[in-house]
Amino acid sequence: MHHANHYYGHSHVLARYCGLADADPPRLRGYLQHGWNIGDGLAPDHEFVPGVPSFLWSERTRRRAWSLGRRQLYVTGAPFAYLLAMQPVSADEKREGTIWYPFHGWEGQHVEGDHAALMAEIRATEPGPVTVCLYWQEYPKLRRRYERAGFRVICHGYRGGWWKDLDPGFLYRQLGELRRHARVASNRLCSAVFYGALAGCEPAVYGDPMHLRNETSAFGGQQRILREWAGLHGAHVDPSLARAIAVDELGADRLLSPPELRRLLGWPMPRSVNDAELTGVLTR
Amino acid sequence: MIQLIGGEMPHWSDLSGGHGPAPLDAALAGPLVAGVPGRTLVAGPHDPALLPAGATVLVRGVADAEALDGPDRTVLCGSLEKLAAEPAFDTVIALDGLGRLCTPEAPDLGWEETLGLLLAVLKPGGRLLLGVPNEFGLDRLLALPPSPADTDWVTPDGPVTPVDLHPRLAGAGFPVVREYAAYPGALLGAEVLTDPGLRGFLGAALTAAAPSGPRLADPDRLVTGALRHGLAAQLAPGWILLAGDLPAGPAAVLPTGAVRRDGGVWFRADGTPIPAGRTLEDLVLTACGRRALPAVRELLTAWQDGPAAGVPAGQVVVDAAGACHGLAAPSVPVSALRSLAVRLIGGGYADLWPSPADEAELTALLAGMTGRELDPHAVPDGPRPGAGSLRELRVERDRLERELADARARHEFYERTIASRDAELKRVRQVNALLSATVPGKAANTVVDGLKAGRRAVRAVVRRTRD
Repeated sequence: MHHANHYYGHSHVLARYCGLADADPPRLRGYLQHGWNIGDGLAPDHEFVPGVPSFLWSERTRRRAWSLGRRQLYVTGAPFAYLLAMQPVSADEKREGTIWYPFHGWEGQHVEGDHAALMAEIRATEPGPVTVCLYWQEYPKLRRRYERAGFRVICHGYRGGWWKDLDPGFLYRQLGELRRHARVASNRLCSAVFYGALAGCEPAVYGDPMHLRNETSAFGGQQRILREWAGLHGAHVDPSLARAIAVDELGADRLLSPPELRRLLGWPMPRSVNDAELTGVLTR
Repeated sequence: MIQLIGGEMPHWSDLSGGHGPAPLDAALAGPLVAGVPGRTLVAGPHDPALLPAGATVLVRGVADAEALDGPDRTVLCGSLEKLAAEPAFDTVIALDGLGRLCTPEAPDLGWEETLGLLLAVLKPGGRLLLGVPNEFGLDRLLALPPSPADTDWVTPDGPVTPVDLHPRLAGAGFPVVREYAAYPGALLGAEVLTDPGLRGFLGAALTAAAPSGPRLADPDRLVTGALRHGLAAQLAPGWILLAGDLPAGPAAVLPTGAVRRDGGVWFRADGTPIPAGRTLEDLVLTACGRRALPAVRELLTAWQDGPAAGVPAGQVVVDAAGACHGLAAPSVPVSALRSLAVRLIGGGYADLWPSPADEAELTALLAGMTGRELDPHAVPDGPRPGAGSLRELRVERDRLERELADARARHEFYERTIASRDAELKRVRQVNALLSATVPGKAANTVVDGLKAGRRAVRAVVRRTRD
């Protein structure tokens, strides 16, 4: 229905959860929220076709989208939360240091800000080793600068778009990295911070939030985020509060069962269904 | 023995169902009538199974008189006002009310005059069992505009409510000792109506017994709402009053018998306890109203995981511990889920699920919400939602209209998408053609052609070797 459904390998994760081949997920009958936001859950330039449902991460986003006139809203939870549920924590997991996500622009956007000052603030704040994760757009431009400052620099991969450069491994890499670190931080509250909090990192949001060239704040922007999610801002925040908020924002406490998700997304039943799932209702 | 007292209707029957509703079912009325003492008059149409031995019966249609005639009863046929010549009775049973006691031969009488005639044949210190129709009952609120019927040579001059009747009967020496809200399927006293724990059970009983037929809206929601808001007595289709020198009667009567309370728990006539709580359907609809799908998911899962999975949601009471108690015989779970899907669509909640949310699709999704796999094509057909009910028809029409508009919008989107994909395909083919014409492209083609030729040669050799 929309190319954004396949960003970050989201549809791939859901296909796997639904028991389907995850190399090439089927078309998804609706719009899948692909990032945390403070609007209706979908991108500001998203074109809505009437009657096409939106699959959102949280009840809060659903309520907000409803108030904005959106209908056919269904809370599924974030694909990352499904991945987390499917990828058990390994026994020998060791966490060390911080994974830091500098605010980035998306395709066609440009971030303006002082990276040198940010690097200094990170150094002054983080006690252990720091891994800086850059978006693929900024990776070639900024990689050397951060490496020279002594950071380990990584990139989770391409987001993909218009059915090109799809990267089913994106979320897996991100989860793997998050589980290697004790802390997750960014200069803006974003999906990655929530992912990290859900994956067991202690989150932090601090430093110059920078800005996008021609940035618009349709839903109150950075100031509103600061007001509404004040408890998540600062170099050290209450981890249990952060986790509770992450659970809410990612809908991690209301993941759907594979049968429900398949019906919603318009996906077929897998060829082999675990018998435990079958019941008296099945009259297939 | 039939006695024509005057004013009788030669070609008429109130018991045939052709002239007004059937009389109160003997199963409901029986516990009230059991053991009434002395000389008894049963006035108006009553279920023949109800008539006490030795009773005197008054009916206005000759056909009814002939049908009821028997060795141990006296059948009087005619109009109420001709009854004055009869000796007074110890008990008068008029559960059908005052509306079918007089005939076209009688002058038009008001309800007070008719009641006066009835009381006149009752001995002082006697007892009266009187039915009273409710002009503002929910059956009338939901009725379509009626056509004049043969019974309507004069229309009743109501409204008559218990509020009017209590002082009138007390003044005549017959104080009211019990008032029942009379629904099809239950007679409910004040004690049961004021017990919040019984709302689910009573709702299930009343909705199961609600008559079908054309009407303005499905009555189930109104019944459930009336019970919740304490209006079930005021909105009952009628009332039954027990007046005079008699015991108060059971707290409520169901087709299975009288209910009783013991130690804070209500019991059916057969001694089984009545579960306290709301119906599953009520809870699901309320959760839908709050858009609380996680709560819906929880309710559905508890229902489908238990022995009540095949019982329709309106016949399942959920107790305080969340356990589901089925009140009806179970069918197959998929039918119960489908019935609930029909109720959700009729209730206007279809848009909580992605369209098209028709009965089969929604049934499959509800099954999915309980973690079960169900193909919409495997959902059995059932009655159309809201058949005969204008509100539900309107809801259905609106839903279909919306789905059609959505489908058109999607169609346009698909057209646009196909056009852009076609353009892309054309462009890719052009690029392909251009690349094929270049030196590396030609070289690649030569390699591919060579490989193909090689494969053909190998196949030919293999074929020859086989032959």
